[in-house]
Amino acid sequence: MRPLRFALAQGVLLRDAAAALRAIGLDVSGIDGDGRQLAVRSGDLEYVLARPSDIATYVERGAADLGIVGKDVLMESGARLLELVDLRFGACRFVVAAPKDALERSLDEYRHLGSLEVATKYPRVAEEHFRRRGIAVEIVKVAGSAEVAPQVGLADWIVDLVATGATLAANGLAIVEEIASSTARLVANPAAYHQRRDEIAPLVERLARWAECR
Amino acid sequence: MRSPARAPALAPPRGFRDILPTEARELRAIERALTDTFMSYGYAPLEPPMVERTNGESVLAGDRLIQFLDRDGDLVALRPDITTAVARLVAQRYRDASGALRLAYFAPVFREQPAMLGAEREYDQAGVELVGPSGSLADAEVLALLAQSLDSCGLRGATIEVGHVGVVRRLFDALTPDARELVLADLRRGDRVGAFRRARDAGMGEDALARARAALAARGRDVESVDVEGVTDLREVIQLARELHAGEPQWGVPNLALVPELPYYTGVVFEALHPESGFPIAAGGRYDLLLGAFGAPRPATGFAINVPRLHLALFASGWRPSRERALVSLIPGADPRAAARLAARLRSKGVAVAIGAVAEPAGMTVLSAEAVDGERLRLEGGRIVTCDALARELA
Repeated sequence: MRPLRFALAQGVLLRDAAAALRAIGLDVSGIDGDGRQLAVRSGDLEYVLARPSDIATYVERGAADLGIVGKDVLMESGARLLELVDLRFGACRFVVAAPKDALERSLDEYRHLGSLEVATKYPRVAEEHFRRRGIAVEIVKVAGSAEVAPQVGLADWIVDLVATGATLAANGLAIVEEIASSTARLVANPAAYHQRRDEIAPLVERLARWAECR
Repeated sequence: MRSPARAPALAPPRGFRDILPTEARELRAIERALTDTFMSYGYAPLEPPMVERTNGESVLAGDRLIQFLDRDGDLVALRPDITTAVARLVAQRYRDASGALRLAYFAPVFREQPAMLGAEREYDQAGVELVGPSGSLADAEVLALLAQSLDSCGLRGATIEVGHVGVVRRLFDALTPDARELVLADLRRGDRVGAFRRARDAGMGEDALARARAALAARGRDVESVDVEGVTDLREVIQLARELHAGEPQWGVPNLALVPELPYYTGVVFEALHPESGFPIAAGGRYDLLLGAFGAPRPATGFAINVPRLHLALFASGWRPSRERALVSLIPGADPRAAARLAARLRSKGVAVAIGAVAEPAGMTVLSAEAVDGERLRLEGGRIVTCDALARELA
C-alpha cells in the first residue's frame, strides 16, 4: 500500500500548515523550503503541494488521503469530502461589497431593473447566497480582482474574499453583508478515512488538540 | 473552429460513450456473476422503465437529473437510480403483498454531473431490494449478499464498512428535533466541523459533544465501547452476516463514522470500499421511510453496486475475465462450400468460428486457420489438422 498522502495548498496557507504539522511532531523539512519538488516523501507520509482549488479535487477523488485547505475553497468547489478539524488559521470572510457612496443608487436600480450584476471569482458561493436571500442577480465571473469591477461599470456589486478589508477600502468599496467566515480545515477522503483509520485517527486527534490550544 | 473537411460530429453527447467489445465482454462477465449470486438468495429480476415522472420524490436534487417534458406535458426524468422506481412500483403493484419481496436489477442509470469516472451521465447499477422484513436477519441478509456478490466477481481485499444512522441520530438526542436534523444534514455532507459547531450553538453540553465526537471516530473494536441504543444491533447484524457468508476474514467492519449522503436511510447502512478506489464501490442500508413517501409505508433495505467502479477495482487488482476457448478465424479457400461445412462442423463441436479475418478480437485469443477442404484446415505455421482434431485441441 502506498504511504498516506497529504495534500497541502501552496500559497498563503502553506507556512501555517507546515507549522501545524511540525507542532504535532511531523517532519516537514521537505516542504517549507524553496524546493521545486511537488511530491515529497517524508517518513510514513507523502506530501503533495498543489493549488488550493485543486486540493479539494485531489482529496475528493482519493488521489490524496488528507488535505489542508481553506473552507472558502471547499465552499466554492462543492466537493464531497470529510471536514474533520477547524485548524483556525488563514481566517478570511466572504463578503458582498458595493461602492461606498452608491449603495442607495444600486438598490434603486434593483427596484427599477429587477436585477443586479455581481462580479466575483466565486460564482458558486455568490449564487447560493443570493438565491437564499431571494435577490435576483446576474453573476459575472472574473478570473482576477473583482474589486475594480464597480469602478469600470462591469458590475454593481462584488462578492469577494477579504482578510482585513484594506483592499476593499482602497478601491472605494464598503461591505454590504458578510456571507460566511472561513478558516483552514483538515479534510479527508471518506473512503481513505474509513480504510486507513488507524493511521489517520492519531493525526486528526493531535491536530484537533493543537488547534484547540491556539 | 470547424475542421476544413466539415466532418460530422461522431462522438456521442457529453457523458455518454460507446462500450467497445473488450470492455463489454468484461462487463458481461461481471453481470453474470452478480445476477447468479442475486438469484441464489431468491432475488428475482426486475426491469423498471427508463424514465420516471419527476414528482419531488427523487433521491437527488433536480440539477442532478436529466429531465425533459414529454408530449403530455409531464416532467419526466431518465431514472437516476432504481431504488426510487422500486419504491413507486411496490406502492402501486404490491401494496397488499404480505411476506418478503426480493427484487434484483442490473441496469443503466442517468445522472447529471456525477463525481465519477470521466463524469459519465450513464452507468450501470446492480443491486437488490428486500421489502417487508425488518430486523437483524433481514439487514444481515442484504449485507452478506453484497459481500458474496463482490466475492463472486473475484474482488479481493474489499471491506464493507457498516454504520447505523439511528445510532448517530441518538448521539444528538439532547437537541430539539429541528436542530438535530440540521446537524445530521451537516454530517451527511461530510461537514463534521459545521455539525459540531451547530450542536454546540444549539445548546448541547460538552460531555455529550465529547461522547458524540468519540462515537463518530469509532471503527472496529472501538465501537464496542460506544454506549448507545442500537450498537448491539449493529454488531449482531455483522455477526449474522458472517454466518451467512464467511468470505475473507474481517470483511464487515462496524464503523459509526459512516453517514451516507442520501437522506432516506433510517438504520443499518453500509459501503463497500477497496484500496484501489477513492470512492465507494457499493452502498446500501435500511430505508424504512422511502416507501412511505409513495403512500405505502413498508420496511425496506437494499444496496446498489456502482458497476464501473467495481470494474475499475477489479481491473486495478489484476482481474481478467476467466479464459474462454479461442475464436477460430476461418479463412475460406477456393471452395466456399468446403469452408461453410467446416464452420458448421466446428460449431457443432462447441468451437466458436468467425469466417474471414477478425477486426475486433475483443480481448479473446484468435486462432487463424485456412480451409484446405471440407475436412481439414491449415494452421498458421503450416500444420494441417482435421476438423475433429482441432476441436479436441481447443476443448
